[in-house]
Amino acid sequence: MFLAADDIESRARAFVLTGQESSLVREADANQRSRQTKAVLLLGTVLAGLIVAGAARTVRRAVAARALAEKALQAGEERFRRETNASVAKNRALLEAAPDALVVVNTAGEIVLLNAQAEKQFGYRREELVGQAVITIIPEGFAERLIPDATRTVAEALHQHIGTGIELNARHKNGTDFPIEIMLSPLETPDGILVTAAIRDITARKKAEALLLDTIAELKRSNDELGQFAYIASHDLQEPLRMVASYTQLLARRYKGKLDSDADEFIAFAVDGVTRMQRLIQDLLAYSRVGSKAQDFLDISSEDALQQALINLRSAIAESGALVTHGPLPSVLADETQLIQLFQNLIGNAIKYQNSKVPRVHISVAKNGGEKWIFSVKDNGLGIDPQYFESIFGMFQRLHKREEFAGSGFGLAICKKIVERHGGAISVESQPGHGSTFSFVLAGNGLDS
Amino acid sequence: MPIQVLLVEDSPGDVRLMREAFQDANASIRLHVATDGIEAMAFLRHEGAHDHAPRPDLILMDLNLPKMDGREVLAQIKEDDLLKTIPTVILTTSDAEVDIVKSYQFHANCYLTKPVQLDMFEALVKSINDFWLTKAKLPQQG
Repeated sequence: MFLAADDIESRARAFVLTGQESSLVREADANQRSRQTKAVLLLGTVLAGLIVAGAARTVRRAVAARALAEKALQAGEERFRRETNASVAKNRALLEAAPDALVVVNTAGEIVLLNAQAEKQFGYRREELVGQAVITIIPEGFAERLIPDATRTVAEALHQHIGTGIELNARHKNGTDFPIEIMLSPLETPDGILVTAAIRDITARKKAEALLLDTIAELKRSNDELGQFAYIASHDLQEPLRMVASYTQLLARRYKGKLDSDADEFIAFAVDGVTRMQRLIQDLLAYSRVGSKAQDFLDISSEDALQQALINLRSAIAESGALVTHGPLPSVLADETQLIQLFQNLIGNAIKYQNSKVPRVHISVAKNGGEKWIFSVKDNGLGIDPQYFESIFGMFQRLHKREEFAGSGFGLAICKKIVERHGGAISVESQPGHGSTFSFVLAGNGLDS
Repeated sequence: MPIQVLLVEDSPGDVRLMREAFQDANASIRLHVATDGIEAMAFLRHEGAHDHAPRPDLILMDLNLPKMDGREVLAQIKEDDLLKTIPTVILTTSDAEVDIVKSYQFHANCYLTKPVQLDMFEALVKSINDFWLTKAKLPQQG
């Protein structure tokens, strides 16, 4: 049911909004009165539908005073008389249909036209804004863009902004500012250029962006903290452990064979436990250092890194009689210390996880599309059951009993962390009894063909 | 004349290890122990209970000490005309770059880290003895 005052006001508003379409307003109202709202929509004119919707919205708001409505009607009629420009009128329908708030401004920076979305967004009624300076709702950054100067016309000034989203602050009627993105497009009319601004409230997006940035910062902070924690914990644990280790070793050295056989066994277990714990802590330190003691990526020779790794492994290679060979190796962008460690861990494993055979290890590369290299470290060792292909890269992951192979279960976790820090990935292909091939990807220096 | 070494170290475990290691390396060394920085300065300046303390040929000092820490002790030694000629060797668990740099800025004569393994620790004490107390020429009582 419509109240009379609302009815009049809604007509007035519709009239102000749409200017020339007053006959349609009447038509729409007639349809409203006969409760055939849907039929109006079916008339096929988008414009009419929108006006009905606008009228219905007005009714819901139930704004009172007939006098006010009539005043608005008069104002609308005056404005209507002024606005004779047919192209502007034609665009009104589109204006109302747009999902964004639309404000049309002349080159003097005055608001000529706006749609219902704009009313809603800025909290003004249409008649309060039409004829006002656009700085009322967009204090900065919009009006300035319309001003021609010695070097450019309005069209040129506008042209620079066409299609680009400009982020500005807008001011609501209640005085609060909110972030908007506006897109400008010029509209040629006989009266000169009018500028249509599509305005989107981006408060939610800005909040989401800020939240994302906060979350990233928080994540980085907690990551740094964790790295720091691992480093400090492992470093400080060394100190008491050094005492336990030193004195059990001293005990073993001085009293072995002088107490009973039980004592010798107990001391041996203590020495063994302490030795393993030292190894574990050192590996944990090494793991935490992949992040905390990281160097910049430089253009380095992967062959030099491999040679250094082989020097570090020389006693293991000599003891096992391992044959380590390699194909031509490229220059890569890497942290050299970490690349050496990577080769060292992978080749060290290849030599270590062997049955009685002479270990054979071959290192080669293949080009992976653009500027990436796939490095492969292939061995003839024990091989790995496919079910462990993923888990072996985790921390403390061990596949063998301590009596078979010593180790802290950190080696491949360190490899994975190093490769990932270099933006690559590490994986394994293997068949138990037929050796394993570990592959990892590194970026080239962009010069190798 | 016995060789006098002042060990500034608060951990009894480390003190004992050092005694054992020096015993093996050079039995003629007399090891004096100060367990904090205040006591170390009192020893060096013959104050209080230390009025008959000998002037050490070498100071071995940890950085992290109670009351007055090793960095402060080092600074005081190296600002003192009578004490600054005594070789002062830092022996600590820290391998932090900032500690190393700071120690040398305060004119530490050498910076060493305590090895984790017993045999390495013994080897280090042996090399301290070989270099600082055997090969190096040190000033006579200054």
